[in-house]
Amino acid sequence: MIQLAGLKKIYPSPSGDIVALENIDLTVPDGAVYGIIGLSGAGKSTLVRCINLLERPTEGSVVIDGEDLMQVKKKRLREIRRNIGMIFQNFNLLEQRTVEANVRFPLELTHVKRERANARVSELLELVGLSEKAKAYPSQLSGGQKQRVAIARALASEPKYLLCDEATSALDPTTTQSILELLKQINRDLGVTIIVITHEMKVVESICTDVAVIDKSRIVEEGRVEDVFSFPQSEIAKELIIPGLIRSVESSGGKKLRLVFNGEEADTPVISGIALRLGISVNILYADTKNIDGKTFGHMVITLPAEEEKAELVKRHLDEQGVTYKEEI
Amino acid sequence: MNLLVSSILQQLFDQNIIYAGIGITIYLTFLSTIAAYLFGLPLGIVLIVTGKDGLHPIPWLNKTLGFIVNAFRSFPFIILLVAFLPVSKFLIGTRDGNGAMIIILIIAATPYVARMVESSLKEVDRGVVEAARSMGASNLQIVWKVYLPEAMPSLIVGAVISTITVLGYSAMAGEIGGDGLGAIAITYGHQRYKDDVIWVCVAFMAVIVEIIQEGGMLVARKLDHRIRQNSKKSKEKKSIYKENIS
Repeated sequence: MIQLAGLKKIYPSPSGDIVALENIDLTVPDGAVYGIIGLSGAGKSTLVRCINLLERPTEGSVVIDGEDLMQVKKKRLREIRRNIGMIFQNFNLLEQRTVEANVRFPLELTHVKRERANARVSELLELVGLSEKAKAYPSQLSGGQKQRVAIARALASEPKYLLCDEATSALDPTTTQSILELLKQINRDLGVTIIVITHEMKVVESICTDVAVIDKSRIVEEGRVEDVFSFPQSEIAKELIIPGLIRSVESSGGKKLRLVFNGEEADTPVISGIALRLGISVNILYADTKNIDGKTFGHMVITLPAEEEKAELVKRHLDEQGVTYKEEI
Repeated sequence: MNLLVSSILQQLFDQNIIYAGIGITIYLTFLSTIAAYLFGLPLGIVLIVTGKDGLHPIPWLNKTLGFIVNAFRSFPFIILLVAFLPVSKFLIGTRDGNGAMIIILIIAATPYVARMVESSLKEVDRGVVEAARSMGASNLQIVWKVYLPEAMPSLIVGAVISTITVLGYSAMAGEIGGDGLGAIAITYGHQRYKDDVIWVCVAFMAVIVEIIQEGGMLVARKLDHRIRQNSKKSKEKKSIYKENIS
């Protein structure tokens, strides 16, 4: 389990201190795929680097499996880091080493015997589906293949945790999906706890169990993905999860309802039901549904009829259908 | 008597003085450069490691070393040559001849090499260094397994440039009673008004430079795996190295 408490990171600069992180409290349970989402400059990359102390927090504690990394000696820190794999947006492979030599790199650091290391390397390359590229150099690989090599390398020391810093941001959508599938598989089959830093909602949607939203150096919201997705509280979370929602709500007058679909309801024709059964026509301002873990989640914003009576009928209809809703101003 | 070739030049060839000069020039150049790398390579590494964004920043040490390196590099070679003769006397007991020249060449080339090494190592992607740190690599391991191998092609290009610079310096060996092509050009060519001797010496030096340059670049290219081999890009790659020559 990773516990960050009271974390603060300040970069001193001649023109005044820059606060990169403030009051960060975060707990990542074992086995989770924990997403940390935010816009660029929000501090998420600094946050993930504080977990393995690539960046040393100015204040606070980083406790991993009961051990505070801020208190340990250098040598112990290097040992702990071997238990925390990390992959990057730019892959960061050693360009002058072959694929297999890249994957072997962490094993060389701990002086693992050559034969054992090589056996482990082929095992890992098989896991990421790149066995036939063992002798290739990184410059001969595509972006997705490079990230697979990076993943294999990060897993070489059999870490319990894996940090992913914008690991799919440099990849096209199809490749992104295949890398996410691989991460999901690693989490499921190897039981590796994964922390994913991203600015892309679709990444959180497809693999995360929990999510924290970070904005302006602070965590503004966190929880299970389903909960945060259904009822985002902060402005930034709403903007990230339902982009366009805020604008669509602001741009038109009158009362509005935001409908939240949780799984099965997305299939039932709720809106046409209102029109057909109640004879009330509602205007759809915004609609977006997503598929998360096989369940359908969605948001829809509709205008309510101006008459109080009709508005009540609509709400009652929604209650009957089991649709959750929230009045938006 | 041949009208085109002076008798002195003829003599120099006949007595194998030119060939001996070539041998001594090569000997002075390579021995000094290799020795300069013995000191300059660790110095360049220390400059990178203790630098502001280095693995282990030590600002005072970095600034002091940087200052010393710059101070040495600001000496015009001919001045450094005469100024450091006492050091040679102290170290090897003589202040003239090829031995003294080697000591002076090492003193002149070490700071140059240090800067060359520093700039090569600076090219190594910081992300790769960060990745190695995340894997629990020690600073020593990062230098040994990341910085040096990743910068190898660039280090070789730097070594080529350094060697050629030292070759140029070695031409001044004659000033302190040393030998080599430069000394021949001055004593037999310049001081006896025989231009053809000078040009022959220059021509041989040009050939040596060309061999070092082309040979070094070939090795650097062979060792570099950054750009796809056997593809359209290999042409671009060549041009990258060509630009580095100057």
